[in-house]
Amino acid sequence: MARRYDSRTTIFSPEGRLYQVEYAMEAISHAGTVIGVLSKDGIVLAAERQATSNLLEQSVDNEKIYEMNENVVAGVAGHAADANILINQSRIVAQRYLLKYDSPIPVEQLVRNLCDLKQGYTQHGGLRPFGVAFLCAGWDSALGFQLYQSDPAGNYSSWKATCIGENNNNAQSILKQEYKDDDKEESGPNVKSVGSQMTMDDALKLTCQVLSKTIDTAKLSSEKLEFATLTLKSGKPCIHVYTSSEIDEVLKTYESVIKPADNQ
Amino acid sequence: MSIMQYNGSAIVAMAGKGCVAIAADKRLGQRALTVDTEFQKVFPITDRTYIGLPGLATDVKTLYDRFRMRVNLYKHNEERTIEPKTFSHLVSHMLYERRFGPYFVEPVVAGLDKNDEPYICGMDLIGCINFAKDFIVGGTASDNLYGMCESLWEPELGPEDLFETISQALLNAVDRDALSGWGAVVHIITPEGVITRDLKGRMD
Repeated sequence: MARRYDSRTTIFSPEGRLYQVEYAMEAISHAGTVIGVLSKDGIVLAAERQATSNLLEQSVDNEKIYEMNENVVAGVAGHAADANILINQSRIVAQRYLLKYDSPIPVEQLVRNLCDLKQGYTQHGGLRPFGVAFLCAGWDSALGFQLYQSDPAGNYSSWKATCIGENNNNAQSILKQEYKDDDKEESGPNVKSVGSQMTMDDALKLTCQVLSKTIDTAKLSSEKLEFATLTLKSGKPCIHVYTSSEIDEVLKTYESVIKPADNQ
Repeated sequence: MSIMQYNGSAIVAMAGKGCVAIAADKRLGQRALTVDTEFQKVFPITDRTYIGLPGLATDVKTLYDRFRMRVNLYKHNEERTIEPKTFSHLVSHMLYERRFGPYFVEPVVAGLDKNDEPYICGMDLIGCINFAKDFIVGGTASDNLYGMCESLWEPELGPEDLFETISQALLNAVDRDALSGWGAVVHIITPEGVITRDLKGRMD
C-alpha cells in the first residue's frame, strides 16, 4: 500500500507530497551538472556531458546548451527528449511574442511560460511530469541580465549563481562561498540593478573552479563540457556557444584554479 | 485601379559576377498622394539574403514580420542560416497558403548561396517562383524596369559596375512612373559583406 500515492502525478499523499514530481527531481539530481554564474557584464553557463563514448557519433554539437531566443540561452539537466519538447515550445513562444510586439520577449515571461507548461503536467492526469530542470540565462531591456532556475514542479527562481544536476548541493555551497557580492554598495547613474562585483573573467574562473570540484573526473576536458556566454555587444544581447577548442583555451587560462583540486 | 497599385513601388534585383544587388524606391503613397518618402521595402533576412516586397504596404510589413519569425525558427531548428533558394521556397509556400485571399505583394529575393553563387528570383502574389539568371523586377514601375534592365544589364558585372547599372535602371524607370520614386536604396551583396547606398532621385 505504500506505493498507492506515487503511481499518479495528480494525487497528494497523506503527508501532502507529490511523489511523481519528487521522483522527477531525483532523476535530475543524477543528470550532468549545469552551472550558471551572473556577472555585471554577462552570464556564464557551463554544462557537463555524461557518459561519452568514443564510438558515439556526435550528431549535434550541443546537447546540453540551447539558444532559446536571441536574448535567452538555456542549460538543460535531465531527460534530453523531454527537454527538446520544452525548448521547441519556448522557441515558438518567443517568436510569437516577437511577431506580436516586435520586441524580444522579456526573460521572466519566457521562463514563466515554460514553467506553466511543466506545472500542467503535475496536475492534469494520466501523464508523467517533464524530467528536466533548466538554467535560463537571459537579458532584457527592463531588468538586464537574469539567471533563472526551474524544476519539474514548475517552480522558478532567480539567482546570481546556481547549479542543477549531479552534486548541485556541493556546487552551490562553493558558489555561495566564492561569489563576490556587492558588500560595498556603489552609487551612481551607471550602476545597474545587478548588484554583482563579478566581471566576466571572474565568472568564468568561478565556473571552472566549481566544475573541477563537482565533476568526478581526473581532468576536465572539452569533450565532456559545454560552455556558453551571454553578453551585450553594442547594446544588443550576444550569445556565444563555445567550440571545443575555445573550451580548451578557457580551461588552460584558469588551470590554476582547477589544478589545486586535483592535489587535494 | 488594382490594390497592387495603391501604394506604389519599384524593386529590382540583378545578378553580377560573385555578387547580387537589390534596389528599391522609397515612396509610400495612397494613389496619387505621397505620404512617406522613407518607406522601407527591402529587408535583410540573413547576412547575405535580402527580400524586396513591392505591393500593398500593410502586407509588406506583416509579411516581413512573419518571414522574420519563420527564419528565426529555421535557424534554431536547423542550426544554420537559411539559403536564398530555401528561403524563396518558404516565401512561395507562405504565399500559396493564402491562395484564395492572398497577400498583395510580388516578392523579389536576392542573395548569395553557400558557394558564393548569386541567386535571384521573383514571385507573383500567390507564390509562383520566377527564377532568373539576369534580373528580376517588381512593382508599379515594373514595365519601365524591364525596359531599362533589358538595355543596361550585361553578364559578369563586378560589384561597382553592378551598382551603377542597377542604380541607373531604377532611377530612370521611376522617373517615368508617377507612383514610385522619391529616392532609392541599393544593397550590393558580396562575399565580403553588404554595401548599402542611398540614392537621391527626382523629388517630384
